[in-house]
Amino acid sequence: MKKETMGFKGGFHLLDAYPLSVCNIIDEISSDSTPETFQFPVFGQKIKHVIVNLCPTEPWALPNWVILKHKTIVFFNMIKEIQKTYFSDARLYLAITEKEDRVVEEARNFAGGEDWIRVFSLSAKYPQDDPVILTKIVLGMDVNFGQDTKPFGILILDPQTISAMHEQGIMRKDVTSRYLALSGTGLRENEIIHVELGTSVEKILKNKVREAVTFRVFINGPLRGKEITDFSQKIDWSVNNIVVLEEKNRKALFPMFKADELAFTTNLIGESRRCVYCNFCDDICPVDLEPALYYHSYVRGEKHKARLYNMGKCIECGLCSFICPSKLELQKIIIECKALGKHE
Amino acid sequence: MKKFLKPIEPFLDKGLNIAESFIHTHRTAHFLFGGLFDAFDGLLRSPKETTQTLPFIRNNYDVKRFMGAVLVALVGGWVLPAMYLFGWQCVIPKLLISFIAGTFIVDVLWVIIAREDHISEGGFVTCLFIPAILPPQAPLWLVGLGAALAILFRNILGGVGNNLVNPALFSRLFLTICFPAFLVTGYQMPLAGMQGTYAGLDAVTHATPFTAFKTNGEIPSYLSLLLGTETGSLGETCRLALIISGLWLMKIKVANWRIPVSYLGSVFVLSVFFSLIMGKTVAPPLFQLLSGGLIFGAFFMATDPITTTYNQTAKWIFGAGCGFVTVLIRDFTTLPEGVMYSILLMNLLAIPIQSLMVKIRYRL
Ligand code: SF4
Ligand code: SF4
Repeated sequence: MKKETMGFKGGFHLLDAYPLSVCNIIDEISSDSTPETFQFPVFGQKIKHVIVNLCPTEPWALPNWVILKHKTIVFFNMIKEIQKTYFSDARLYLAITEKEDRVVEEARNFAGGEDWIRVFSLSAKYPQDDPVILTKIVLGMDVNFGQDTKPFGILILDPQTISAMHEQGIMRKDVTSRYLALSGTGLRENEIIHVELGTSVEKILKNKVREAVTFRVFINGPLRGKEITDFSQKIDWSVNNIVVLEEKNRKALFPMFKADELAFTTNLIGESRRCVYCNFCDDICPVDLEPALYYHSYVRGEKHKARLYNMGKCIECGLCSFICPSKLELQKIIIECKALGKHE
Repeated sequence: MKKFLKPIEPFLDKGLNIAESFIHTHRTAHFLFGGLFDAFDGLLRSPKETTQTLPFIRNNYDVKRFMGAVLVALVGGWVLPAMYLFGWQCVIPKLLISFIAGTFIVDVLWVIIAREDHISEGGFVTCLFIPAILPPQAPLWLVGLGAALAILFRNILGGVGNNLVNPALFSRLFLTICFPAFLVTGYQMPLAGMQGTYAGLDAVTHATPFTAFKTNGEIPSYLSLLLGTETGSLGETCRLALIISGLWLMKIKVANWRIPVSYLGSVFVLSVFFSLIMGKTVAPPLFQLLSGGLIFGAFFMATDPITTTYNQTAKWIFGAGCGFVTVLIRDFTTLPEGVMYSILLMNLLAIPIQSLMVKIRYRL
């Protein structure tokens, strides 16, 4: 019954590599000024497919249970109502992680044999929940990285947006706060918080960071998100999680015998070398590219050549740089070469 | 290991820190020993660099662990069996000489002269290869010379990551040309279980199975070939252990499975083919697979990632090419063994194969 990794041979089980225990505390944090409100998504074009992404593949992402609250049926009824009100001719696709078989089970029972809804149990490999891969696996359609899927009639929603749409559109209540996952080696403990939109990062992290540690803060994960240095930045709806990592910028003795000590910190864990042709990068690439070719072109000073090797297909998941034992900055090279193409 | 290292760690860390700050504040010391210290430090401690671009976390697997896995596999694959088969007195001195000449003399001198900032762990792998591919009765100076040449050759070409051909094999080729006497005759029967009575250079030399086959068509039992009680180079005889550790390397993805599969597969297919059309004048397929350095070469030398192609489809061609050349040399020339030449030749051909495959794949 399981529908798994179609057209997706690479990827990485991040959830298994970095098991983060999140305790159940949900901390309420309010902003000092008037909170902003949730912007209801606008869709000009006719929506034909709605994909509900219930498949978080990054351990630091907001887990499903926060929104589902163990009352899955209530959530499914919400979806049904939204579907009837806003896109009645669209088909709904529930993409659920294989790790939560109970939710998959309930979703299958809920869907029954009805035509408007489909249930998929997807493997929890990162980056399964990337829009490009999700549309490829669920709909069999090819979209490009960074492209807006709405012109194709595809809308991808996460559970939190669904519940906000329900509250604001159907219950007619303003949504002014959202859940965030807070995790990382720089924190005292990992937790889920409920914050008002517009709260500053500084206020959220107050009293939560471990003492006497240098740390760096990342929004939406260290793999695809961005680093922030200005902590007065405000939280908006696009922020799903905050990761605070310890900055271990000192030498560690005998790294070969204690791998876990440096894991999940910003340390490079190894020194930069030349490419050793180990094939780790192309084995892990979810869209079947050969990232080392970009590196080889780049060091030869032929940036323009790098783009010949299907670079446009790259979804910038960062796995190639993540896995490279020579610690090459493959993703940086890719982004640089892509930017070169745009200017021409 | 962790427990054992725990008590010395603080002292070592402190000592290294003091040495580091001393070297970096004294200009003469830095000029003379800066590179050497960094190289030594790099073997013991992980660098302090942190990620500056996306992605901000990295996998805890680096080239050091990669090479470490190869070292472990080589120790299990040939060092331990060879110690049992030929006696530790025969193996240990060779290893010591190889390491001293290769890493401790040539590499360290190179670091000082060429101002490299680290000693590459790849050197240990190369030095562990050298005794394995020389005959058991090779004199110690030959082993040392081989290791020194291999490391020197690799460094001249630009170090790990730039070597065109397998340095250990190149060095063996060099030795074969310069000292054919040692490399053709230095084979003795293993002394399995007789470590106490190491016979040294007086042990009776004996032709390798392949030379024996070529001279009088005699084929030893396959079981003895598999277990390693036949003659051969020091590291290539116990094929069972080599296969097991080779499979382990493939499992942890350090060795790419495509190369051994295509190499051994093509040797098998071609030797079946030649046996069918030429009958008993050529070696039978199973004997081909189990004799000479084929297993060692296929699992450990041909898979050396830097000297193969990057493209995975091209790896099939690479392996098949190795098999083809090996069978041709074995069946149709007077040379006793073809594995070394085939791998060296395909190492050179890897570059054109790679660019051809890239052109085909991306339609350039
Ligand atoms: S960043 Fe691009 S090239 Fe690298 S693994 Fe991801 S999709 Fe492949
Ligand atoms: S993972 Fe890194 S070292 Fe390995 S082939 Fe790719 S670029 Fe080269």
